[in-house]
Amino acid sequence: MTTGPKLVSILRQGSYLIASIHTALDDTQMVRFQEDLVEQIGRYRSRGVIIDVAALDVLDSFGARTLRTIAEMARLRGAVTVIVGIQPDVAFAMVSLGMATGSVVTLLDLEEGLAFLDSRTQRNATSGRPALRTLSRGAP
Amino acid sequence: MVRRIVAARVQDGPTADDLVQETLVRVLAAAPRVEPGMLESYAIVTARNVVASLWRERDRHRRNQHRVVDLLPEQTHDDGLVAQEEQNAVVQALARLSERERDTLLAHEVSGQDTRSLAGEIGSTAGAVAAQLNRTRARLRVEYLLALDQAEPPTERCRPVLLALSSGDRRRQREVDAARHLLECDLCARLSEPLMERGQARDDEIRIPIHVDADIVAARQAARELASRLGFSKTDLTLIATAVSEVARNIVRFAGLGEIVVELLDQPRRGVRVVAMDTGPGIADVEQALADGYSTYQGLGLGLPGARRLMDEFAIMTEIGRGTTVTMTKWREER
Ligand SMILES: [Zn+2]
Repeated sequence: MTTGPKLVSILRQGSYLIASIHTALDDTQMVRFQEDLVEQIGRYRSRGVIIDVAALDVLDSFGARTLRTIAEMARLRGAVTVIVGIQPDVAFAMVSLGMATGSVVTLLDLEEGLAFLDSRTQRNATSGRPALRTLSRGAP
Repeated sequence: MVRRIVAARVQDGPTADDLVQETLVRVLAAAPRVEPGMLESYAIVTARNVVASLWRERDRHRRNQHRVVDLLPEQTHDDGLVAQEEQNAVVQALARLSERERDTLLAHEVSGQDTRSLAGEIGSTAGAVAAQLNRTRARLRVEYLLALDQAEPPTERCRPVLLALSSGDRRRQREVDAARHLLECDLCARLSEPLMERGQARDDEIRIPIHVDADIVAARQAARELASRLGFSKTDLTLIATAVSEVARNIVRFAGLGEIVVELLDQPRRGVRVVAMDTGPGIADVEQALADGYSTYQGLGLGLPGARRLMDEFAIMTEIGRGTTVTMTKWREER
């Protein structure tokens, strides 16, 4: 559809998917992003997903809801989702708006996100339980 | 602008011509600057120039320019029919002014009488005469555009709205709710284009039409950019952008068509005002719409109540079958 620079990118790294939003997305683009990401989680049997939203100008009710939906759908497919890069002013607006990110894990940056996924998937491995059930409670 | 080339204006023409001529004879009696046989043509060209000051600044190199400077009525134009159309429109517009308006305008514009001496004659002040002249010019422009368009305004609100736009009087525009009328009235929307292009464009106001998803992003980014000029903190800018995003989405989801106007304020202190209006079905239960968790579309139900929390002031006006207007303001914290 677009011929300009990519709006989002989804990269595979081992059993993780790293999705970066590169610019402000409108609702239609946000929904397409959700569909693409969920499709790839299934296709690659990913265990963890990091969504980097540092470039988003706002996270309004629709944007926040879409992220929660992604996390929920990923969870049902056995993957943990981490949101990274929420800017302080964006976070403040979300709180003022009356939104919490709910059960979705939010962390500072990609590095923290990767560390978190490693620890979670590690725990799954050592505990020997199926990932789906272990992860079903979402974030601490 | 639509110009209809129609020669038949028989029913209106003579009367209008008579009125204008009668006025001229009276006005020019004491100020014979112009050859008597030329009076009417001269006046019409002068009035046309008043009207054409509309376009003067817009683009000096456009073909419209011939309307601005030539004072020679016998000059032929390439498009003689169009020129004739314009001239007829000017005559009609002049005829629609009140006698007093016409007298004063022509005395000033045609015979060059200054505002002070005009004020002396009618027992007023120069300032009041100047203000009246401005109103008359504004009316002349409106009547000219209506005559040129051969349009009769469909509602009683049309003329007051067009007049407020033509005079550039922002307070009056708000009083007559001009922005909403332009959403609802095709004729005024069309005529408002040349009227609003007058003079320099306002740089402390942005209007964004809202129709599709992408407009939501455009609106919030435009609001952020404009507000950033007042030195709002990054946090406040994000609050404003988020609030605009929410009300814009409401328009797209519920109304389908609307407009967001973002305006910088000076009074009572610095701030930014966002007016989001639509021509949608209206909100049956405002209390409910403002209650947390209420939503008829797939969202978090935070649209309106969320936007209200993000801004300092929030007001909503809605009418079933007509539409909704949300007005919200964020004041700049003075430190
Ligand atoms: Zn109208």
